[in-house]
Amino acid sequence: MTDIAAGLEQALRGVCDPETGRDLIAMGMIYEARIVGVSAHVTMTTTTRGCPLTEMLRLGVEAAVLAVPGIEAAEIRLSWDPPWTPERMEPLPF
Amino acid sequence: MPGKSLSPWTLSWFGSAMIALLLALVLALAAGIGPEDFDRPEALAIVHLFALGWLAQVMLGALVQFVPVLAARPLAFSRLALPALLASSLGTLALAGGFLSLDGYEIARPFFLLGPVALGLGFAMLAVMILATLVTRQTLRLPEVRMVLVALAGLAGLWLSGAAMVSTLAGSRVAVDLSQALPLHMLFGIGGFLTFAAFGVSYKLFAMFLLAPEAASWQRRAVFALAAMMAGLMLTGLLMLAGDAGITPLLIAVCGISLAGAALYLDDVRRLWQARRRAHPELNMSWSRMALGFLALSVLLLPFAIWQGGALARASVFAALVGWLSTLTLAQMIRITAFLTWIQIFAPLIGRRKVPTVQSLTHPRRAGLALTIWSLSAAIGTLSLATGFHAGFRLALCGLLIAATQILCELVAIRSLSHLPAPERPGLLPPLILPAFLKSQHSAENQI
Repeated sequence: MTDIAAGLEQALRGVCDPETGRDLIAMGMIYEARIVGVSAHVTMTTTTRGCPLTEMLRLGVEAAVLAVPGIEAAEIRLSWDPPWTPERMEPLPF
Repeated sequence: MPGKSLSPWTLSWFGSAMIALLLALVLALAAGIGPEDFDRPEALAIVHLFALGWLAQVMLGALVQFVPVLAARPLAFSRLALPALLASSLGTLALAGGFLSLDGYEIARPFFLLGPVALGLGFAMLAVMILATLVTRQTLRLPEVRMVLVALAGLAGLWLSGAAMVSTLAGSRVAVDLSQALPLHMLFGIGGFLTFAAFGVSYKLFAMFLLAPEAASWQRRAVFALAAMMAGLMLTGLLMLAGDAGITPLLIAVCGISLAGAALYLDDVRRLWQARRRAHPELNMSWSRMALGFLALSVLLLPFAIWQGGALARASVFAALVGWLSTLTLAQMIRITAFLTWIQIFAPLIGRRKVPTVQSLTHPRRAGLALTIWSLSAAIGTLSLATGFHAGFRLALCGLLIAATQILCELVAIRSLSHLPAPERPGLLPPLILPAFLKSQHSAENQI
């Protein structure tokens, strides 16, 4: 994994779902994250389509990703296809 | 603006409802209301302050907040939220005051007729907002959306039956048989509106809070079918009332449907609970289980209430209003207030710095103690009404007032971020119950 890709994952691990306190990757809310040159492309979802936090989570992910050294642009896309289900969550380590 | 899809007036609805709850309990204690006193005009005023001012207001405020989540689109005609709140608050106060005219206070008589007019206006504005948001081809397929729509039909029935009774009591030309209208009016309010709305909202909320799969079950579809059937029967009862026909067979049918519907709903919630991914449910969900116990109790008492009336009818109504609907509402209100506060203050900081969780804004042990006192008091009150035990009922009212005061303090603490360590609190906080945009732009910028 390159430094930028590791930084991207770390950034996404730093954004937490305020309801559970778990990060978005552990929640299964990140559908795709890739680096193309100096741009990051992330596809994410929310636990329910009408979630009032949707736009704020998207902007939060954008801010976290743009803070990664080496990333100069970020495209954060929302998708509910497929819809999020609790099965997407990473199991708790304990 | 953080959470632009949120209605800015939700906390004002909650605040108004909490004031009505405390006022109703204080007045019930001050007026010396006991188990046999529910025919007294001041008791009728207090019951309406509780049912309309507290429960209906909080449910309507929650619906205004929640239908955009159900429909996944912004609230339509959101500017109506404030006038609807003002109209329904004025209507509740006028109606409660108007009941005193039955006790000889002639000065209160004009308020009696003003009450239904203002309430009707407020309800109509809310119905416009909710219907315009919810009714789309996609959303109408969802059982929880349909349930909320049935609840609106229940609200219409509640208003129509209530207005007809007020008209009768005020001596107008439009008159109905009050002994027939009263059970129908209560069924519209408790079952047709409040319980169906609670069912519709809880399907989504419970799944979200428990991290359980949202897929609609056969039980959910069956509950909707039974709810629609019950609403249809009750609206038919309203027409029969206008024609002076007896409605006892219809009430028996409604009772049977209520038993089946409640059993299926409880089974559906049990299914959600077992499928949850959250190992340790939060306070709001733990106490919702207590509320569900009261739902079962009130529905089990319903056949006796319809058959015998009197003490068991009062116990069934109390278990439903205080035990089921109020416990559920108070438990969820703590969580929703924390969530809305979190959005206002911390949502703009997501991804920029470490933010607290929503749960850390609450004090589960303190809130849990208040809900324990509330539930115990609800149980004592139900038992006292069933047995006609005056002192027990008065003790229950004291307990309810203590618990409600504690919960109000907890809500203020949540809004003030009192449970967070000082370094995590911002310099300026949003207003307690008014929308943040009423503060100056400069202040709003400094909140974060």
